[in-house]
Amino acid sequence: MEQIQSYMTEPCSIPFCRGCGHAHVLRKLNDALVRLQLEACKVCLVTDIGCIGLADSLFALPHTVHTTHGRSTAFATGIELADGVLADSGLKTIVLIGDGGAMIGLLHLVNAALLNADVTVILCNNYLFGMTGGQNSAFSPLDFITATTPKGNVIPPLDICRLMIDSNAGFVARKLATDQDLAATIADAIAFPGFSMVEVVELCTEFGSRRNQLSGTVLRSIVESHGQQLGVLRRDEVRKEFGRIYVEKFPPDGRKGGGKGEGFIGTKFTNRLTKKFGMVLAGSAGEKVQSSASTFCEAAALSGLFSTQKNDNPVTQGSGFSLAEVCLSPGRINYTGIDEPDVVIAVSREGSRELAGRGVFGRCHLETAVICDSDVEIPETRGSIIRLPLRKTFTPARAALGALFIALARLEVFPGVALTETIGIRDANLASTLTGKVSALLDT
Amino acid sequence: MTDRAAADRRIKLRSGNQMVAEGAVASGCRFFAGYPITPASGIYKGMIDLLQHHGDLAVSSPDEISALAYCVGASMRGYKSMTATSGPGWALMIETVQYALMTETPVVIALVQRLGPSTGGATQGAQGDVLLTEYCTSGGYTIPVFAPSAAAECFELTMHAFSWSEILRSPVILLLDKEVGMTTESVDYSALNMPRVVDRAGLRRTGGDKSDVRTYEFARRSDVPPFVAVGSDIKVTATGSAHNKSGELRKNDPETLEILHHLEEKVLARAGEMTVLGPDVESGAETLVVSFGITARAAREAVEIARRQGKKVSLVNAQTLFPVPAAGLTGAAAGTRRVVVAEENMHGQYRGVIRHLFGDRDVAGVNKIGSMITPSEILAAIG
Repeated sequence: MEQIQSYMTEPCSIPFCRGCGHAHVLRKLNDALVRLQLEACKVCLVTDIGCIGLADSLFALPHTVHTTHGRSTAFATGIELADGVLADSGLKTIVLIGDGGAMIGLLHLVNAALLNADVTVILCNNYLFGMTGGQNSAFSPLDFITATTPKGNVIPPLDICRLMIDSNAGFVARKLATDQDLAATIADAIAFPGFSMVEVVELCTEFGSRRNQLSGTVLRSIVESHGQQLGVLRRDEVRKEFGRIYVEKFPPDGRKGGGKGEGFIGTKFTNRLTKKFGMVLAGSAGEKVQSSASTFCEAAALSGLFSTQKNDNPVTQGSGFSLAEVCLSPGRINYTGIDEPDVVIAVSREGSRELAGRGVFGRCHLETAVICDSDVEIPETRGSIIRLPLRKTFTPARAALGALFIALARLEVFPGVALTETIGIRDANLASTLTGKVSALLDT
Repeated sequence: MTDRAAADRRIKLRSGNQMVAEGAVASGCRFFAGYPITPASGIYKGMIDLLQHHGDLAVSSPDEISALAYCVGASMRGYKSMTATSGPGWALMIETVQYALMTETPVVIALVQRLGPSTGGATQGAQGDVLLTEYCTSGGYTIPVFAPSAAAECFELTMHAFSWSEILRSPVILLLDKEVGMTTESVDYSALNMPRVVDRAGLRRTGGDKSDVRTYEFARRSDVPPFVAVGSDIKVTATGSAHNKSGELRKNDPETLEILHHLEEKVLARAGEMTVLGPDVESGAETLVVSFGITARAAREAVEIARRQGKKVSLVNAQTLFPVPAAGLTGAAAGTRRVVVAEENMHGQYRGVIRHLFGDRDVAGVNKIGSMITPSEILAAIG
């Protein structure tokens, strides 16, 4: 295969100010690509906003994706996650981002490092926002004079390399734009299998150099005066890249998903419903109220009925009340609300209080069966109250299921045996224990 | 969806959220990035379960901005992608939705509405994000928005959303509400409509010079440029900034303005094909009831009661909210004197959008916040 001499548009019309470090860094990036001789279509440059975001037009051969401010690493991560798991993992994605973008998109850098996505971030840190007039950034050195820190910056700069190392990045380097081996370090970062970041420290000639009377020769002392280190600060090739871990962990298991599949509920029993039936069931969190309602709906389906089930609980899922509203109908159910319930079940005091708070007892009709535990207080209602030792007989965790058997015995919406059978699919012992207890309770 | 005899049904109990996940997988979605939020977390969980079994990629993200950005990146790489969220997460995604629109990147976002504003009520239903969804772009570009009213429709409209996302190279929004997303109900799989799956038709060239391919090439404004994946052997030059057809940064270039018109016209030109209204038109109807999402179900019940009372009423369940199905709505309203638009928000957001279609007819709203609109409330408005 023919050697690629340059990945850039040659001759290249550099859009940056005279002396700008960006031009130098991009030349070194090109040198790194030439050194690696990557197939051009297997390289994707993802650029951020700001002066460095003008790099796209300079690279004639690789794919280029110019993104939004700070988000470049996130888009690159998406490209790489898909490439590593769904494609052949052959793509090298390189982010070009400034110090402004790195701060607004800090979380994206952290997460790319945590994931160990095969993304290389080249962070061109010129200590300020150049394109918008030289405002200070989170990377500005102390005492740095910018348009927005006219008396000098008082906020110490972020040490991004330390943060990346703490985020478990495999390859982290801080280099000066003037370093002779910059291209070699960038090449090493790109070749690294996993997340890599190279922070390149440079100067904005328009807003950084003049105001602070600096030249490239003092960059090293600025870096070191903030206790920051230079060079390759971390190189750990033991950790596998995300795509490799994922492919190993989640091979296709041949199980079908999507529109068709297993698990249909056939019609085995008949039902007596001619119109919509509404039931509200309430108890306490952790006492299987909502899962009992689900089992009830499955049993209804086994009896040829359509159902809807709406659950509710406080925002904290493990405490307070737990409630389910169930509608059954021989045909499709439109409105899922229950204005006048046919059955109300309260298996705990918390549940009853919630039902009362919603005015459920007040909305009962004369035929409504209000099934409640013996210890539960029920406010005034037109429904007929059936008070039973549900918690004592069935245990608190099975009180809801027990109450549903009682409801079926009372209203004969569909046969209780449908519920027994549905429970028995998962737990035959539970099904027989429950039916035994229900019979005993009904006999008394 | 039509009702079948009990013996012919193939029933599963499914939430709307689960059916969105199933519809996505049936559409060939292979990438999901998620961030938890009630009431949309069921879609996230569903996609984790389904995609990881296929060896496809479902991954958690550190925030909603990343979730959508990961999806857009994966889509650029060539794979159908989806994420899911609710109002607070949607607020964070708006920047990236605009990027997807500008870069003509297909992606599907399921937005399960809850009560706002701000973090509002996480477990309370609402239909208050209609305008926030559609008018989220600077410039007011039309983003297709589909709103299912039931679990089965969640499946069908998710497939619809993926198809149109591919055809248009555009983000498409599935606008659920908490009651549709989180209610579990009987779904008869034998009665599901399975829309045609539109494959990711990438531009492929074997051999020859590929350097002349322009990323955003189109002839007529309404044409859609052929998709090219990042990483394929044709160079992609993508950008969210104003650009020419080559994807190069350009300011007020005639071609740049042509592209901006194209972004809108490619969607509007296909508005009719995108329309799903499920119209139930009664001849001689005096009133048309328009609704969508969970409220469309109360509307159906209200219309059935009204008809039993001898009233002549037509019904539209607007599963396509945007682009506004103007022809379908005016057709359904033909001959009526009154239009009732029922939606669970304060001022009638969709009513405001479609009111002008109905000329001098009386256009009334049934609106409410905090709980579902009931059939009797709609019945009262039918009169």
